[in-house]
Amino acid sequence: MISKQRIYEILDGAVRDRASRLCEISIITVVVVNVFAVILDSVPSIHSEYKEFFHNLELASVIFFTTEYVLRVWSYGSKYDAKSGGAIKGRKEYIFSFYGLIDFIATMPYYLQFFIPGMDLRVLRVLRMLRILKLTHYNSALQDLFGAVIAERRAFGSAVFLLAISTIVSASLMYFAEGDLQPEYFASIPQSMYWAIITITSGYGNIEPLTDTGWMISSLTGFLGVCMAAILTGIVASSFSNQSARKKSAFEAQLKLALVDGEISDAERTTLKRLQVKYRITDEDLQDMVKNFSNGKMTNI
Amino acid sequence: MSSTTESIQSKICGLLDGSTFSATSRSIEIFIVLVVVLNVLMIILESVSSISQNYTSFFYNFEVFSVIVFTIEYILRVWSYGAKYKADGKSWKGRKEYIFSFYGLIDFFATAPFYLQLLLPGSDLRFLRVFRLLRIFKLSRYNSALQDLAEAVVAERESFYSAIFLLLIACLLFSSLIYIAEGAAQPEVLGSIPLAMKWFLMTIIAGWGGVDPSTATGSVLVVITQLIAIMLAAILTGVVATAYNAQVTRREAQYETLVREVLEDGVVDAEEQEELDLLKKKYGMTDAQVELIAEQVRVENEEKEEKAKFLKEHPEKN
Repeated sequence: MISKQRIYEILDGAVRDRASRLCEISIITVVVVNVFAVILDSVPSIHSEYKEFFHNLELASVIFFTTEYVLRVWSYGSKYDAKSGGAIKGRKEYIFSFYGLIDFIATMPYYLQFFIPGMDLRVLRVLRMLRILKLTHYNSALQDLFGAVIAERRAFGSAVFLLAISTIVSASLMYFAEGDLQPEYFASIPQSMYWAIITITSGYGNIEPLTDTGWMISSLTGFLGVCMAAILTGIVASSFSNQSARKKSAFEAQLKLALVDGEISDAERTTLKRLQVKYRITDEDLQDMVKNFSNGKMTNI
Repeated sequence: MSSTTESIQSKICGLLDGSTFSATSRSIEIFIVLVVVLNVLMIILESVSSISQNYTSFFYNFEVFSVIVFTIEYILRVWSYGAKYKADGKSWKGRKEYIFSFYGLIDFFATAPFYLQLLLPGSDLRFLRVFRLLRIFKLSRYNSALQDLAEAVVAERESFYSAIFLLLIACLLFSSLIYIAEGAAQPEVLGSIPLAMKWFLMTIIAGWGGVDPSTATGSVLVVITQLIAIMLAAILTGVVATAYNAQVTRREAQYETLVREVLEDGVVDAEEQEELDLLKKKYGMTDAQVELIAEQVRVENEEKEEKAKFLKEHPEKN
C-alpha cells in the first residue's frame, strides 16, 4: 500500500524520480489528446462520424482528471505536519492555488451538465479547452517567464502607461490636424484613437494622411510603435536573464556550503538535488560548478 | 522674511516635490493626478460633437476649475522651490531650476495658453487645445517606473546616438539610390529625394513604403531597406535590454550589499528591517527576488563559519 506522503511526492513532483515522471507524462498525454479531440470534434464531418468515440474519450478523461483532483486534494494534506498547519493548510493551499483552480475548472463543467441539462454545448467545449492550462504545471520555463514578468511588473505598467499616453496624444494631434479634412476617420478623438492604436501596433494605420503635419504625426506614431516593441522585448529579455543568473548564484552558494568539508553527504546530496529542480539548473551547469568548486576532484554529485 | 513663512515655504516644497513621505503629500499627489486624468478625459469627450454641444458650459467650467488648480500649483511650486538652496542664500536658484526643468516647462505651457486666450480673444482655439494636451505629461512626474526606464535609457544614450546616426546615413544613402533607380519611372512618389526619404521612413516604420518597384535595382533596394528595418528593431531592443539589465543588476547589488551589512551581526532588528523594506519598495522588487538574495547571503555566511570551523578542526588541510 502506497502511503499518503508517497502519493503527494509523486503528484507534486518535488522529488524527481521515475514514478513522478511517469505520472507527469501520463497527465500531459491525456491533456494533449483531449485538446486535439476538442479541436477535431468541432469539424462537423468528423463529429458526425466519430461521435461515439469522442463521447467515450471525454468520459474516460473526466474520470481520469477527477481521480487526479481527488488524489491531489487528499494527498496534499500531508504537505505540512501537524505543527506547521496540518492537513487542512496543505489542502486549502492547493485548492485555492492557480493550478488547483485550473484543475477544478477543467473537470467540473462535465458534471455541471447533469445539473443544468439545457446548457449550451459550445460553452462546455470552451471550458474543456481550458484543460490545456494544466500543461503550465509541467512547463517550468513558463513559470520562469511568469516570474520574470511579475518581477518587472512596474516596468510593464510604465510601458502600458506610455502606450496610453502615445495613443491619446497622437490621436488628439491627428484629430486637430485632419479632423476637418477627413471627418469620416478623424471626426472625434475616440474615433482617431482607433487609428492611433492600429498605427502603433502595425506601423501603418491604413488611412493616408492628407497634410504634411498629418504625415509627420503618422510616422512618429509608427516609430513609437517600434520603440514600444523594443522596450517590451528588452525588459522581458533582461529580466529573464537576470532571474536565471540570480538563481545560479544562489545555487552556487549552497554548493560551496556543501563542499566545505571536501565531500558531499547523503543529506546534502538530497538538498542539492531538490534545489537543482527548484532553481532549474541543468546537469551540465551543475557538473561545471562541481568541478570548479572541488578543484577538479569531483565531477558530479 | 520671518521664520514662520520660511518654515511654511520649506514644508510646502517638501510636500510638492515628493521628498516628504506623508499622508498629506500622498493626497496632494492623488488630487493632482485625478485632475489631470479628468482633464484628459474631458479633452477626449469634448471632441465628440454631440457631447460637446450638450455640455458646453460644463466643459468650460471644468476648464476654469482646472486652470485655477494648476495655476495655484504652479505659483506654489515656484515660490516654495526657493527653499531648496536657502542655505546658500540663493532662493532664485531653486526657482530657476524648476522653471526651466522639463516638468516646469510642461506645467507652464499646459496652463498659460488659457490666459493668453483671455488677453487675445480672437486667437485660434485649436492651437490652444494642442497645448492643453500637454497636461497629460504632468502624470509622468508621478510614475516612478517610467522615470526608471528613462534613467536606464539615458545611461545608454551613446548607443542610441549611434543607432540614430546609422539610420540617418542609411536614410540618405537609400533614398538617393532609389531616387536614381526609380525617380524617372515613378515621379509622383519617388520624384525627388525628400519624397524618397518619406518612402524610406515608411518602409523602416511599417515595413512597406507603399511603392511597387518597377526595376530590378529598385526591388533590391526595397528588400535591403526592409532588412535594415528589421535590424534597427533588433538594435533598439538589444540596447534597451542591456540598459535595463544594467539597472536591475545595479539595484540588486545595492540590495545585496545592504543585506550583507544587516546580517553581519547575525540578527535583523526592527530598524534594519525597515531599511530593507524601504529599499525593496523603492526599487519595486518582488518577495521572490528579495528572498533569493537574502537566502544566498545567509548561505554564504554559513559557509564562511563552517569553513573556519573545519579549518580549526583540521589544521593540516589549510
